[in-house]
Amino acid sequence: MPDWKAEVKARLAGLSLSPARELEIIEELSQHLEDEYEQALSRGVSEAEAERAVLADLKVPNLLGRELKRVERAVPQNPVPMGTRARSNMIGDLGQDVRYGLRMLAKNPAFTAIAVLALALGIGANSAIFSVVNAILLRPLPYKNPEQLVMVWENQTHLGFPKNTPSPANFLDWRQQTTVFQGMAAFAERSFNLTGAGEPERLDGRRVSANLFDVLGVRPIIGRTFVPQEDQPGTKVVLLNESLWKRRFGGDPGVIGRAVTLNNEAYTVVGVLPSSVRLPAFGKWRDQVWVPIAFPAEEAASRGDHFLEVITRLKPNVTLAQARAEMETIAARLAQQYPQYNSRVGAVVNPLHEEIVGDMKTALWILLGAVAFVLLIACANVANLLLARAAVREKEIALRLALGADRARLTKQLLVESVMLSLLGGMVGLGLAYAGLRVLTRFIPPDLAHADTIAIDGKVLVFTLLVALVTGVIFGLAPASQASHFNLSETLKEGGRDSGAGVRGKRLRSALVIAEVAVSVVLLIGAGLLINSFMHLRNLDPGFRADHLLALSVNLSEVKYPDTARRTAFFDEVVRRVQPLPGVQSVAVAGNLPFTYNGDSMGIAVEGIPDPPPDQWPDVIYRAIGPGYFNTMGIPLVRGREFNDGDTLDTTRGVVIGEKTAKHYWPNQDPIGKRLKPGGTNDNETPWRTVIGVVKDVRQNDFIAEPKMQMYFSYKQVGQLVANALIVRTSVDPLSLATPVRNAIWSVDKDQPVANIDSMENIVAGAVARQRFSMLLLAIFAGLALVLAAVGIYGVMSYTVAQQTREIGIRIALGAKRRDVLRMTVKQALKLVGLGLLIGLPSAFILTRVMSSLLFGVSATDPITFVSISLVLTGVAMLASYIPALRATRVDPMVALRTQ
Amino acid sequence: MASPGLDRELKKGSAELLILSLVEDRPRHGYDIGQLIELRSRGALRFNVASLYPLLYRLEKRGWIRGRWVEKAGQRRRRYYRLTPAGKKVLASQRDGWLEFVEAIGRITGIQYA
Repeated sequence: MPDWKAEVKARLAGLSLSPARELEIIEELSQHLEDEYEQALSRGVSEAEAERAVLADLKVPNLLGRELKRVERAVPQNPVPMGTRARSNMIGDLGQDVRYGLRMLAKNPAFTAIAVLALALGIGANSAIFSVVNAILLRPLPYKNPEQLVMVWENQTHLGFPKNTPSPANFLDWRQQTTVFQGMAAFAERSFNLTGAGEPERLDGRRVSANLFDVLGVRPIIGRTFVPQEDQPGTKVVLLNESLWKRRFGGDPGVIGRAVTLNNEAYTVVGVLPSSVRLPAFGKWRDQVWVPIAFPAEEAASRGDHFLEVITRLKPNVTLAQARAEMETIAARLAQQYPQYNSRVGAVVNPLHEEIVGDMKTALWILLGAVAFVLLIACANVANLLLARAAVREKEIALRLALGADRARLTKQLLVESVMLSLLGGMVGLGLAYAGLRVLTRFIPPDLAHADTIAIDGKVLVFTLLVALVTGVIFGLAPASQASHFNLSETLKEGGRDSGAGVRGKRLRSALVIAEVAVSVVLLIGAGLLINSFMHLRNLDPGFRADHLLALSVNLSEVKYPDTARRTAFFDEVVRRVQPLPGVQSVAVAGNLPFTYNGDSMGIAVEGIPDPPPDQWPDVIYRAIGPGYFNTMGIPLVRGREFNDGDTLDTTRGVVIGEKTAKHYWPNQDPIGKRLKPGGTNDNETPWRTVIGVVKDVRQNDFIAEPKMQMYFSYKQVGQLVANALIVRTSVDPLSLATPVRNAIWSVDKDQPVANIDSMENIVAGAVARQRFSMLLLAIFAGLALVLAAVGIYGVMSYTVAQQTREIGIRIALGAKRRDVLRMTVKQALKLVGLGLLIGLPSAFILTRVMSSLLFGVSATDPITFVSISLVLTGVAMLASYIPALRATRVDPMVALRTQ
Repeated sequence: MASPGLDRELKKGSAELLILSLVEDRPRHGYDIGQLIELRSRGALRFNVASLYPLLYRLEKRGWIRGRWVEKAGQRRRRYYRLTPAGKKVLASQRDGWLEFVEAIGRITGIQYA
């Protein structure tokens, strides 16, 4: 009899059918041919004749092949047994793996959805935080060779100012004497009232050295920057910020050469700078205009007036250490030359980037670490899911191996599946990151430079892709490695009843849960410490009552209001008009409200106490205020009285001091009636001031630091322009009074800009914005970690219980109480959690140290936090295992026994 | 079925109908289907291996019929094709279509059926 199979097979060549399909077709067709052959024989035809007749059917050249091709190629191929050694085409294999993987994922939509969601949360959190890190820490500053830029400070650590703002004379000496820098530039904050066209507006700005923008390497959008000759008093030129130029001048290039009115003086616009120029700033200060610093002679000679910030550029090949050494030498020389001001004054050189990023660096890296932990937990969860599913797929895998599948190929296939999962997770995660960032940016501290550039850009996309790939490999390794260690005969012997992928799989799953718990402990303790710190912070008494308090900046023009009398007249009228507004309880003039300004302190001489040596003058913060300030602010008066309208330039100069100042100079004495004055005792230019009251100390500059010594003058008794704000205590929502109060001010002077209208509560919140930001994020991620860990424990316990169904059934059948079964299951979970805690607690003990600089009022090893977090995790674990345990006790023994 | 060309075209149009009709009442294997077609058409129609099986596979891909390997005592296993619910619907509509077609041909050519 002819070999029909060979005949058919020969005609199938070139179709590249899958091996299984080919076998099937050969079997079916050869049988048909054989039937025909036999029938022919039964009719009495000779064998040779019968064979010829049968084969005639196949005679038309390649008809079968052509016909089959139309059918078999028109639709996707049947699933190929995965992992066959037959072909080793990498790309082809990959395509096949991907198709197969997609089918597997589509077949288990619930599994896929859960895994993708867990991964999306993990990856999305990473992408979001990386976007922030990328914008703030990694993206270079928008200047030429930004790594060469440094800031120089005076070091007055002995007075409590490790980084003091340099004085003009010192800056000028530095600039002259250094050899390690290319150009050194100074700048100082200054606000401007823009009047003329449109609403009057208060603008943040700076006085800057003419060479500042050359040092930075900033090119103007139009026009030019300053030239050295313009760094002279009396030069009225200005550079505009791009955003101001667009907003107020419609982006008109013709603005160059035009005059704008700033502080009632005409300035000629010489150029427009890109809005990416962002000098280090305190709080919400955003430069809109720049003018030459042009030190007047008196200012240039001053060594006691500290108000500059200094940026310079390292020469190529000069290291930071070299620059520091030279600046120390120069500072030492100046200290010898001018002992009265400079003794013990050193110099500090820091990279500009560090200055801008500041303490957010630690916080951001910690957050990035935290989200990495969250992702690890998500990975562990998905790995667990995959392991559980691998146990279900055991039979499939065993069968493939038995059919000759290659283990390496099989492992690869499983990895491709997990990477596809993680890529899906990454895609969803990007969406979550995008949404998350929109919320996140609302909590970003306002003084964090470049926060507005936070976005999902190419770098973030690449980062996400890499994270997704690595994640896929990490959580895919567990099930894949298990597959390659697969004991074939065992699995097949057990008749396909899943053997729980053996002890190995169980151990792996338990290890994953232990790891999850350990990582969660670290995260939760970190978050717990930060939350604790934040609570401490929020409970701090700022020294005044921040609620129902409206604050407005009212910066007078020195040209329009050149003397105290005119300023007093203006503010008196404003107070008179604001006071009767509905909802207003009291109103007062203020100078530099708490947390809005970082300067204004001076050494004072006290009558009856010898002046300290020049370098040991304690610094006292001073503020100029108007009558009713303490009452309006809610600052308790301890002794004496506050200023009233009777305190003017014509009466005795008074001063109200803080409790700390009182204790320092007059311990155990009544300070009322004592006298002090700024500057030395023998300085006859400055008048003595008599202490008229003592108030509680207020946190002025820094919310976290203990309040410093402080004193208050009445702005009506000070020659300089010092009052620049108005505060209003209200009986209603303070912000609802913003417009009426502003209109009242404009009714006095329609050109007077009013800015920074905000509630004092918001200002206080802004002072802890960095802490709130770190705390909030870490808390969110820790919460996420807790949920994921709980899900992980739940998943593993459910699985374990399902595995133990038979055992539990037998126990119950033999009379075990449900309570015992319950206890047994929960105990298993607690064992895992206990081991997790055993690893996690010491790790947290070590790791939380890196965040000690972020903590306030709580130590990095706070036992309460450690204990309570352990309890929380244990509780969650009990809950997570209780549900599957409860289900286990409901098992009908008969059913349980039958499951074998 | 005189000319081979016409024979092929007609077969193509009607073959699906024939096969679906044959597996309507019970599952049959390929050889059985081929035999029945030849027998019932009294030799007028005959499918050979090269055209029958591709057709079966196409119908199977479309989900109209479904093949299953069946083992019977003392025999080698054979692939039996059975009409699926979808196939049932197709068969009904093809039957109607065929009838219309034949009637239309009849009206034009004047061939009358008894």
